[in-house]
Amino acid sequence: MPGDDISRRAVIVSAAIVPVAALTAVSQTSATSALSDAQLRLLAAIVDRFIPKDELGPGASESGVTEYINRSLADYLAPEKPAFIEGLEQTDAFARRSENQPFVELPAEKQDAVLTAMDNGAADGFPNARAFFNRARRLTLEGMFGDPYYGGNKNFAGWDLIRYPGPRLATSADDQKMGVEIKPLHRSAYGSGADHGH
Amino acid sequence: MAINLKPVDVAVVGLGAAGGVAVLPLARAGLKVAGIEAGTWMDPVRDFKPDEIHNNVRSLVTTGTKAKKEIPTFRTSSDAKARQAAAHPMMNAVGGTSIHYHAQSWRLKPWDFKTRSETIKRYGVSLLPKGSTLEDWPLSYEELEPFYDIVEHEIGVSGKAGNLQGKIDPAGNVYEGPRRREYPMPALRTCDYLDHMFKAAQSLGWKPFHAPAAINSVPYRGRPACAYHGYCDRGGCHVRAKNSTCFTTIPEAQKTKNLTVFDGCQVTRIVADNNGKVSGVSYLRGGKEYFQPAKVVLVGSYTYENTRLLLLSKSKAYPSGLSNNHGQVGKHYFGHWDAQAGVNVSALFPFDINTWYGAMLSQGVTIDEWADDTFDHSGLGFIGGASLCTFMEKHPIAGASMPLFGKAPAWGSNWKKFVHENAGRFTGAYLQTNSFPYENTWLDLDPEVKDPLGDPVCRVTSGPKENETRAALYAQDKMEQWFRAAGAVEVLKGQPFGPALSTHTYGGTRMGDNPDSSVVDRWGFSHETPNLGMLGGSAFGTSGARNPTLTIQALAWRTADHLAKNWKSIAG
Repeated sequence: MPGDDISRRAVIVSAAIVPVAALTAVSQTSATSALSDAQLRLLAAIVDRFIPKDELGPGASESGVTEYINRSLADYLAPEKPAFIEGLEQTDAFARRSENQPFVELPAEKQDAVLTAMDNGAADGFPNARAFFNRARRLTLEGMFGDPYYGGNKNFAGWDLIRYPGPRLATSADDQKMGVEIKPLHRSAYGSGADHGH
Repeated sequence: MAINLKPVDVAVVGLGAAGGVAVLPLARAGLKVAGIEAGTWMDPVRDFKPDEIHNNVRSLVTTGTKAKKEIPTFRTSSDAKARQAAAHPMMNAVGGTSIHYHAQSWRLKPWDFKTRSETIKRYGVSLLPKGSTLEDWPLSYEELEPFYDIVEHEIGVSGKAGNLQGKIDPAGNVYEGPRRREYPMPALRTCDYLDHMFKAAQSLGWKPFHAPAAINSVPYRGRPACAYHGYCDRGGCHVRAKNSTCFTTIPEAQKTKNLTVFDGCQVTRIVADNNGKVSGVSYLRGGKEYFQPAKVVLVGSYTYENTRLLLLSKSKAYPSGLSNNHGQVGKHYFGHWDAQAGVNVSALFPFDINTWYGAMLSQGVTIDEWADDTFDHSGLGFIGGASLCTFMEKHPIAGASMPLFGKAPAWGSNWKKFVHENAGRFTGAYLQTNSFPYENTWLDLDPEVKDPLGDPVCRVTSGPKENETRAALYAQDKMEQWFRAAGAVEVLKGQPFGPALSTHTYGGTRMGDNPDSSVVDRWGFSHETPNLGMLGGSAFGTSGARNPTLTIQALAWRTADHLAKNWKSIAG
């Protein structure tokens, strides 16, 4: 252990020539699904109200946000899986109570009313509604705008939406210019084959 | 039974920003040094990635396993029950927090070292913050200056001098103390947004500059220049252009063959003999207990752990904790953001500012007009102020989580339209307030919450500070003025809030001449325990309005240099 020579551990490279592939990490495995098919459909319906498909581009589920959350709950976020599933079930139960239908079968404006009530802390009989709403919205942002490596941000839809030009290993002053569109580099930090789950 | 190891001259506890620097002058002086670090080596390729989920969401660079298990508890007054914080802001690794920090590498101002006497001289005692235990430092800026200079060159700092031996250069910070020579590297690259903010500050009659950074602006000592890729915050540098101690002073010390790095070793106690001298440290590695005998022990484990280790290390000679017979360990604690969050003024521009890439605060523009005692405080009701900084580097999840400025809903199609247009048009600012120690802020051991070894965690007691809150509000207004001058259409000022755990905390083993109000002397050695030295922000008496690391490193070098030059009298 002691006295390790740092030069063995560190690559000596200049910034401009580091190949992206050099950053490829050991692949995580997440073969098991955290959520049931019914739970995944419900989750997709929720995240698609946060980020709907419209003229600005695809919605959250089409962009892999559901996949990101499902995978996260199966590995890194496993400790919060029971609470998240409870939140999903409570959301559906509240939809049935307040709108007389399962959440997934409600029209968009009614789904929005359910979510708005949760956001406002006005969802009767669902004490943790606001906490679950905030957590689901936060995870939606992570999935939509995080690296595609984790299963979300498919086709770089999230980065294109906010006009983020993509991670790169080195940038020039031209990449930091104001008032010009920087050409997006559609590439994951882990190589162009973005998604480690396939 | 502990396994007894071969004795060394000096045991350094913690190989982060402080200990990682102290080992170099010791090793060069020929002393045999054991560098004992709870974390392990990190690998730039394996561990440092341009990936916000890895760095910022999951904190995979910054979450040291040891720190995670001993998160301090926090309460705002002695009547309140302390609760364990959600996360520890520090990490364990060879290089410590210097791996993921923003690397701004400031010298404190001459005023910071004698705030008390200068305040009395200029404004009278009435302007001293009420309830503060403020003292002048036992050393002046001029005494520390040679060590600032050494460290700037040893680790590598990029910047532009504003005061070269008294000669003022408006290209640098004209408010800095005099320095003996120019920085070893020019300032980091500027860019459109920074130039824009630079001009806006000048239009107000202010004197903007690019702050110094321990990041290579040009190749330096065999390592490349910064690539400005925009994942500096909470991540390590993938090309080793950030001058973390694991890339600079630690390997340099290893070359002498006098430093042995013991990584993955958690120090649990500093051991003292019956004569009141320390004899070494006990640590755990892989479930086994070891005792490392040492003639001198230097402790550089961050503010919370420095105090905790001393208080845990009880002995016959020190029944209430090592070096604590005067009851000063844990006292005079304070945090840099006792009155506010670090990032609390946001601005929205009507055009793309494109701040995605960069190197956090280190690629920024700073204003010192409203910090320290640069301006006249008569009638303001506070001393100090804040440095103002705006910067490059913004990550996509954070960009999409931007403040809405009351202009859009938080989700749905209208929100999509809003972030589509504005994620590239908003930014934040970083305001660092001059902060001071108080009677009612201290660290001790929590009576209930324990780590997995059964040792109590550190407990923080600290309430809101009136002086610092006023200074923060004043500085926020100046930041708004600056953003407005640059054309911002919306400016959002966060409410200053009370203290919290942070990476900029100070005190607990304050430096001073008087053992009744400090723990270590002007050299960083204990008043009570002659062969024990303390490294880090725990020795500070004031914070300055800027990042502490370079001052921590200059003090660490000075303490180690003093030890090497006075070896016989200190090691006995």
